[in-house]
Amino acid sequence: MSLIWDEIRRAVPMILHGNPTLFSIIGFTLEVALVATAAATVIGLPIGLAIGLGRFRGLQVLRVLANVSLAIPPVLVGTFLFVLFSPQAVLGSLHLIYTRRVVFVAQTILALPFVVALTAAAVQGLPPGLLAQARLLGAGRRQLWTLALREARIGVMAAVIAALGTALSEVAAVVILGGNIYGYNQTLASATLYEVNGGYYADAVAIAIVLIGLILILMCGLALLQHQGNGIRMRFRSAT
Amino acid sequence: MTGTSDGSRGPILLRCEHLSVLRGKRTVISDVSAELRAGEIVALLGPNGAGKSTLLDALAGALPAAGGRIERHGRVGIALQSPDLARRTVFANVTLALAWWGVPRPERAERAREALRAIGAEHLARRRAATLSGGERRRVHLARAIAVQPDVLMLDEPFAGLDAEVRANLLEDAVSALRSAGRATLVVVHDRAEAWALADRLLILIDGRLVAAGPPRELLEQPPSTVVARFLGFDGSLEDGHELLLTRPAHVALDPAGPIEAHITRATPLEDGVRLELELGHGRLYAVSPFPGPRPGDSVRVRVDGGARFPLKESGAAGAVGSAGSHGAGTADRGAGQP
Repeated sequence: MSLIWDEIRRAVPMILHGNPTLFSIIGFTLEVALVATAAATVIGLPIGLAIGLGRFRGLQVLRVLANVSLAIPPVLVGTFLFVLFSPQAVLGSLHLIYTRRVVFVAQTILALPFVVALTAAAVQGLPPGLLAQARLLGAGRRQLWTLALREARIGVMAAVIAALGTALSEVAAVVILGGNIYGYNQTLASATLYEVNGGYYADAVAIAIVLIGLILILMCGLALLQHQGNGIRMRFRSAT
Repeated sequence: MTGTSDGSRGPILLRCEHLSVLRGKRTVISDVSAELRAGEIVALLGPNGAGKSTLLDALAGALPAAGGRIERHGRVGIALQSPDLARRTVFANVTLALAWWGVPRPERAERAREALRAIGAEHLARRRAATLSGGERRRVHLARAIAVQPDVLMLDEPFAGLDAEVRANLLEDAVSALRSAGRATLVVVHDRAEAWALADRLLILIDGRLVAAGPPRELLEQPPSTVVARFLGFDGSLEDGHELLLTRPAHVALDPAGPIEAHITRATPLEDGVRLELELGHGRLYAVSPFPGPRPGDSVRVRVDGGARFPLKESGAAGAVGSAGSHGAGTADRGAGQP
């Protein structure tokens, strides 16, 4: 216990005094997390809505696959992508391995199943009469999807939060594909692993504290956003 | 049996001929022909599982027809049975429906206000849907359907699940709100009282077949078959020579000078008196007597004023009281009469 405390005491000054490498990693982590989450949301929402609201052959299979994708280990995804992107492979001509770009690609792919599966589940849980009534009153696909997203916004925001969490903290695929190169394409999570492997525990703890702080700030922000407009609002009562 | 009107109202807005509808592999609607004219309110009545909602869905185009054909002259708007509203204000819910319907934005607010006013829900406009009671939700659901002003309006059990007082209030408001010269309205109802209050014509659907159609008073006075009569509450039956007389409690009165002797076999207290089951040698009748009324085991004399007569041979299984599902009497064709 005292060892952990000692490492924390050594880590705090590193954060407060502003290590340039640390700030660069924070910046890159934020960039990767936000871009990957945004990309996964843009790609995943329509897929999740189609799976959740659609009425076509093979729908049940797609729903099962969407749920299965949540359980695939990131290390497996990383390995598969490494094989796909390696210089001799099909997508080798993209020259992505060990670059910064591949980290964005990996985190987007890892975040995508959360957006798809949780969005599908959220809209499937809506009262069936609501969407059927909208269809019967002439709502087009865009209107139906907008209605479903609005009505299932708490579940959909949960999907985005889960995607952001993955993009912030996932490490296996980043290390396999990006190589976890110091000061170049490290995220806070992969940098923590790097420092631990090198035996620099104080640095690892400093990075971990920053990562946890970042996760707390972003998640609290999204949680507030999630409940806005749902009748749950923060109110400050003034004394009379 | 076809559900055609007498043609005295406006033009035909919806017509189906020999319509059959499947749910999976099961035939739910068989050979139904009916029409709706502008300006009329038609109630579709039938027991649970008769296929009322399926017929409504098929007429609205939400379910494909397996046979026959449907002609629609104008847009059909349908209000489903469950009044699920979006998590917004009441006013926003109505304007949203208008947006789905394709009403231009500048017209939506006024039309939403009008519809809410028509159904007596104007005071709810600013309330959020989640805070509404069951009756208020039904009211808003109806307002939404009225606001879009379809040529044919279809309502699937708009008063389901409401307590008696709320239902009576909503029914009263709906009667005037639903009446429109240019629109045909088809209302699925489960309760006969709702049909009497609302409709110009009734369509009675039993086991997926249209077994009767006509104005409520006419059907009540002259049910076309024993099946229809049973469904309309003719629960008493009496063999009279070669005829079967079916009666409603209103047709049977306790009268010391009455020609028929009967034994009370059951007395069930009601709000306004006692419902009596009367056993006769050649049938069983039901009557309502003022409280406290005679007791089970007592002998009484009764007289029958009215009722519907059917040839005993043609009525087939009609002797089996309450056999509303029997098709044996579907074509029995008789009128009302005096014993």
